[in-house]
Amino acid sequence: MSSAHDEHGGHGAHGDAPEGPVVLSVSDRHPRVRTIQVVRPGQADTTFLAAGAKGLGITIKHFARNLFLPLRKIAARSRAGAPDLVGQGNEIETVQYPEEKVTYPERFRGLHRLMLREDGAVRCVACMCCPTVCPAHCITIIPEESENPGIEKRPAVFEIDELRCVVCGLCVEACPCDAIRMDTGDHAKPVEDRANAIETKESMMARGIRSIAKQGGEGPNWRSHAHEPPPDGGNH
Amino acid sequence: MSLLYAILDFPATKWLFLVLALVMPLASLLTWAERRQSAMMQDRLGPNRANIGPVKLKGILHFVADALKMIFKEDFVPANVHKGLFALAPILALAPVLIAFAIIPFGPTIYPHALGSSLDTYQLATNPGAPEFADSIRMQMFSIDFGLIFYFAVLTLANYGGTIAGWASYNKWALLGGLRSSSQMMSYEVAMGLALMGAFLVTGTLEPGAIAAHGATEFMSPAHPLNWLWLWQPVGLVLFFTAAIAETKRAPFDIPEGEPEIIGYFVEYSGMRWGIFFLAEFIEIVFISAVVATVFFGGWQVPFLDGDGFRIGGYLDPVKHISVGGSFTPLPHAVVVTLQFLAFGAKVVLLAMFQLLVRWTLPRFRADQLMNLGWKLLLPLSLANIMATALVKLVYYITTGS
Repeated sequence: MSSAHDEHGGHGAHGDAPEGPVVLSVSDRHPRVRTIQVVRPGQADTTFLAAGAKGLGITIKHFARNLFLPLRKIAARSRAGAPDLVGQGNEIETVQYPEEKVTYPERFRGLHRLMLREDGAVRCVACMCCPTVCPAHCITIIPEESENPGIEKRPAVFEIDELRCVVCGLCVEACPCDAIRMDTGDHAKPVEDRANAIETKESMMARGIRSIAKQGGEGPNWRSHAHEPPPDGGNH
Repeated sequence: MSLLYAILDFPATKWLFLVLALVMPLASLLTWAERRQSAMMQDRLGPNRANIGPVKLKGILHFVADALKMIFKEDFVPANVHKGLFALAPILALAPVLIAFAIIPFGPTIYPHALGSSLDTYQLATNPGAPEFADSIRMQMFSIDFGLIFYFAVLTLANYGGTIAGWASYNKWALLGGLRSSSQMMSYEVAMGLALMGAFLVTGTLEPGAIAAHGATEFMSPAHPLNWLWLWQPVGLVLFFTAAIAETKRAPFDIPEGEPEIIGYFVEYSGMRWGIFFLAEFIEIVFISAVVATVFFGGWQVPFLDGDGFRIGGYLDPVKHISVGGSFTPLPHAVVVTLQFLAFGAKVVLLAMFQLLVRWTLPRFRADQLMNLGWKLLLPLSLANIMATALVKLVYYITTGS
């Protein structure tokens, strides 16, 4: 058994007769640099009858299986290389999108949302970090004075043009207040009018929930709070 | 009433009902079936969404959408093309295929006055002038003795469509595609014709209707599956089917078209002009299936179904026309005709699906492999098939004297 044969995945590792390629000469510089005899299909094989019949067998098997067996569940289909298909239905991988959706990974960046305070007001303090960092200049914030004397500013207008957004997630990283997130697991919806692609403060707040993060962050002493449990026990 | 039957038996009427109302929709449906079947062979779903309101039908309506799209696309004619030939080529590709259907027997002869009862085959054989057989409708447009020769002669003309399209397009690649089309047809026409000559030797006729109904022996009716030529001409079947697929210019023999990369003869065509080439290709698939079904799989014969009913195990005495042995279930003529008509349709659809299967399984042959296969394998084999068939026939004649 030659070593080259094993490297190629080695079919039939047992047996007396060597099954590897016929070595014509070996280089004196390195044992793996060799001249081997290349086996080309003879005249009898050029009709490809046997190979063609084998291929037809494979396609017939797939066709019959996909025609007669029921569709697998979406979870089994969306997972590439499901371990064992036997007994689960056919082998079709297609996800019929609008009706069926695959679950995205946890860190998938999708449509924006604005998080809320305890009283349901917007968490955003109009610090202008996100429009500053945004490489696509798709965020428009017009600040106004907050009614709450403890809060300096709030956005009067908070608009994101989803057509310009490059979904980079820098706005989320820049936000000091956990006010903007992209974890909706949803896409920007297709629209027929460009104006409709602009997400407003209201539409993004409608998707928002209350955040457990401390408003304004932990400040310079964040290390001392890092291991404390969140005030509401982590429910949000 | 007999005028009505005479009109129904008129070839143009039959062409209208059988080709325009049956074959054309079937060919259009095949365009959908091909995409759906190929998708399922590749673990996909394929087009399944075209709908009229809630009517979805698994996407069958896609062929309607495709046809509408192609009709309303811009009919673009490039500068410098030969306008007349450019317009003529799609028609030249389509018309011969539609004409060739004239020889295909879509079903048995219908006797309208005898529809209600079981067909009296003895009466039919001895007294064909009886009132119940006064009117008859053949499900074949032209029953001519040189039927298969007619098919070769006419279908070869379809090749001019491709070649002229390539010539008229004023495009080097289209011209080369047209030439490839010609050379391929030349290589395969010969083997295709010779492959059917074995069938001619066995049945002694070139009339497809007679080939479908051949084989009435003392012990077996023509409806017996063992009487069909797939058993007596297996080599002829494989050779003819291979050459016929080459004739349809589809993979693995799609060198003339080479849609993705080598560019075929209809590269300058768009809209419905291109659609006609496409349709002609699919009608050719139906036609090839119909020929193979007729010659090698008994045409409209349902296994064990004779003209008067199911006869399993026994046989019909060819002289006295009585059932001998086995079990016999008489059926009304109308039921028999319907079953046989459906059987022909089923055979055609299955063979067409097999052609789709081949098209989506095998990769394209190289030009030299194609020529090797045509001239060095199919042609000698078909000649050998003829010789072997003739030899067996001769030995049989010498030993039995019939």
